[in-house]
Amino acid sequence: MLQAADVSFGYRDELVVRNASVEVADDGFVGIIGPNGSGKTTLLRLLAGTRAPGSGRVTLDGVPLTSLTRTAVARRMAVVPQETQLAFEYSVLEVVLMGRYPHLGAFAVEGPSDIAVARHALESTGTLDLQDRAFSTLSGGEKQRVIIAAALAQLTADDPAIVVQPFRAATILLLDEPTAALDLKYQLSVAALLRTLHRGRRLAVVVSTHDLNFAASLCTSLVMLKKGQVMASGPVDEVLTPDRIRELYEVDAEVVRHPLTGNLTVTPLGTGARP
Amino acid sequence: MRPIQRRLGSTLALFGGLAAAAIVLGPLAGSTSISLGNVVDRSMPFEQNVDAQIFFVARLPRTLAGAMVGAMLASAGVVFQGLLRNPLATPFTLGVSAGAALGAMLAITFGASLAWLGLPLAPLASFAGSMCAVAVVYLLAGARHRGLSTNVLLLAGVTMNAFFSALILFVQYFADFAETFRILRWLMGDLDISSYQPLVTALPLVIVSFAIFAWLARPLNLLSLGTDAAETRGLDVTRAQRAAFFSASLATGAAVSVGGPVGFIGIIVPHLVRLLVGSDHRIVLPASALFGAAFLIACDAVARTIMAPLELPVGVITALIGGPFFLWLLVRRA
Amino acid sequence: MNTNLLPFVLFMSFVIVANRPLAVPQAQVQPRRIVSLIPAVTEMLFALGAGDRVAAVSNFDKFPPEVEKIPRVGALLDPNLERILSLKPDLVVVYHSQEDFRRQLDRAKIPTYIYTHAGLADVTATIRSVADRVGRGDKGRELATRIESQLGEIRRRAAGRPRPRTLIVFGRENYALRGIYASGGRGFIHDMVTLAGGDNVFADVQREAVQATSELILSRRPEVILELRADPLTPEEESKELAVWGQLASVPAVRNRRVHLVVDARTVIPGPRVAEGVETIFSRLHGGR
Repeated sequence: MLQAADVSFGYRDELVVRNASVEVADDGFVGIIGPNGSGKTTLLRLLAGTRAPGSGRVTLDGVPLTSLTRTAVARRMAVVPQETQLAFEYSVLEVVLMGRYPHLGAFAVEGPSDIAVARHALESTGTLDLQDRAFSTLSGGEKQRVIIAAALAQLTADDPAIVVQPFRAATILLLDEPTAALDLKYQLSVAALLRTLHRGRRLAVVVSTHDLNFAASLCTSLVMLKKGQVMASGPVDEVLTPDRIRELYEVDAEVVRHPLTGNLTVTPLGTGARP
Repeated sequence: MRPIQRRLGSTLALFGGLAAAAIVLGPLAGSTSISLGNVVDRSMPFEQNVDAQIFFVARLPRTLAGAMVGAMLASAGVVFQGLLRNPLATPFTLGVSAGAALGAMLAITFGASLAWLGLPLAPLASFAGSMCAVAVVYLLAGARHRGLSTNVLLLAGVTMNAFFSALILFVQYFADFAETFRILRWLMGDLDISSYQPLVTALPLVIVSFAIFAWLARPLNLLSLGTDAAETRGLDVTRAQRAAFFSASLATGAAVSVGGPVGFIGIIVPHLVRLLVGSDHRIVLPASALFGAAFLIACDAVARTIMAPLELPVGVITALIGGPFFLWLLVRRA
Repeated sequence: MNTNLLPFVLFMSFVIVANRPLAVPQAQVQPRRIVSLIPAVTEMLFALGAGDRVAAVSNFDKFPPEVEKIPRVGALLDPNLERILSLKPDLVVVYHSQEDFRRQLDRAKIPTYIYTHAGLADVTATIRSVADRVGRGDKGRELATRIESQLGEIRRRAAGRPRPRTLIVFGRENYALRGIYASGGRGFIHDMVTLAGGDNVFADVQREAVQATSELILSRRPEVILELRADPLTPEEESKELAVWGQLASVPAVRNRRVHLVVDARTVIPGPRVAEGVETIFSRLHGGR
């Protein structure tokens, strides 16, 4: 279980995240929602361990992240950023293989099992046919799926005997605004992919997004972040109410369970001019 | 894509062969014609064997210097490009060569008063100057942020270049005509070391930098994904950046102190190598070192023979190749 | 004076004076305030007895001792026009290559003497020409003839002797055999050494300066190496600088200990002391120390 306990983080006098507490269960699918500038990305970074909190602690199965080595953390947690820009030309397979580095010794190189893991990860995201393409030539959606594959390859435990191996210990996939730059079609395919991965393996997912419907369709619990503080957190139907939405976004909205999908759907009605 | 071990093996074989061929053929080129038969003739005493003297005193050290300087500048170029995440970075982008030039200039202009040292001052001063520049750039870049912000690094380096260039102009004012000319010639690069001593002196620096480069290969791959992405894949980004900065600066400073600031090797070679073998630094780094050695030896051979009996400075040849190459690069990327 | 005519006379005087033909500045025969940017020419002026008329010299002038007290106004690369103008010179000795500077002086209507740097024979020609220019023509011819006969005498003494292959170095890095500049087959240094009985190893190169790499030096096998320097060295510095040549131990000159540091400004200044410079070179070439 990944847990942030009362964490704060800021630059100089400005706190971007303030006394936030988040719990991610081993089978959790947590959505972090909030307007721009509410600290979603920073909270995600704190959870992933790329930033150390100024106060409070982030622990993985009770152990503070700061006392784990970076490679140990990397084997349990992988981050899919909003955008990936490569400085040099790498092939898709090379990019995914880089996800295997936390599993290699200092001067070791990838072996056949690593390559098999990478190929399998590409297959899970439907991008195996792209493996020899140059990464920079892919479309936004393809790139996103390749990075997800790289994250999966990173989280796959290395057992040379068995190639296709569900994750042993609970692993966590963190995604920062995964659908922000995607077409509708790719938004849906990434959502379906995440759902499959979450259900099929012992994979916890944390996704930060401003797309409420996306969050509602996938997540089991939500964390509402307003100006760096956790305004509300808990199961989706408890958190996603018109009152909360008005408080968070200053927008009137209707929250209804959709007849066809069964998911909670948020329909904005107008900007709440209430003081 | 073939497994990396095989790609690495075949690449090393190819480029290693190229470098070996250059080292063997390099001493055969020169501004005067010598006979190989005489060179290996053991019966003639060395003092009378001019051909052997030219081969072993003039040409062989020069070829080895070309190999060392070429290898160091090419691999330092790869590392700087990886550190700054920009394929247009060179070993001289961050002010290393400007510091070296200032050091050498001070030695050439004012060195007579430090005559009591009795040592060749210019190489020492150029190395000291380059390390000063590096230290200042590092302090500037690390001052405000945790870790090493590459943007600030770049700005600090460009600033250092400008500042040192201004100082160079200032020192130049005090130099007389002959000294000015000598400084200009130093800036064009000079591999005529005529002794193995500078190579022996620089060897520990070479070994240290190359050892760190070997460790840096995977980290540089990860860094090209972005610093956060590298961090989440288990890399200690700050440590890797520091190691990259210092090792590449060390290699550059050592190379410049041996042969002067030979330009364009640090950008031509990495680019050509990436075109041939891809971008995996575990292959690009050793391949660039070997290709850089061969390339500089070849350029120096051209410089020595194209206007015989006069010898052009090697930097002129690398610039003549480098200028059009840069243009081609820009056009290609546009 | 009839006051009615005064304005008219004044006006006519003004008209006549304003319309007088402009005298070409060079027509002056006896310049009394001379600025010399060329140390060799400064020496010539003093040797011609015109030293008291030298108003300013270059930054590099060192001889005769009197120049210590004379103001400095720059040199080849950086002549200080303002300072020169403030001294109100009536003749400025400039390098041929200082084109922009010469134009500035022409615009300021200051006469110039244009000096060209060339071979040994041009030294005495320049002495004669400078002497004529400053009105000491007889003294100039006397001085030039004396120098020519001195040179002729040295040439005769050198005639019967063997001519060693000579490398003439006039610049290199301190304590290192890097950036070595040697005399090519042109210029007064080449002429001096040739006259004194040495065979310049780079006589075939039609340039004044050759960057002598180790390969070039080894292949030309000089029997004598002369390093010409103007500034003095302590004995310690001298022995350290000589020791550096050990790196090219197989060169005949090094092997036979015939590498000489010639610390004599007269060997690098193409001025009136040039014959004494050649004498120094002669003695070093033919076994003297």
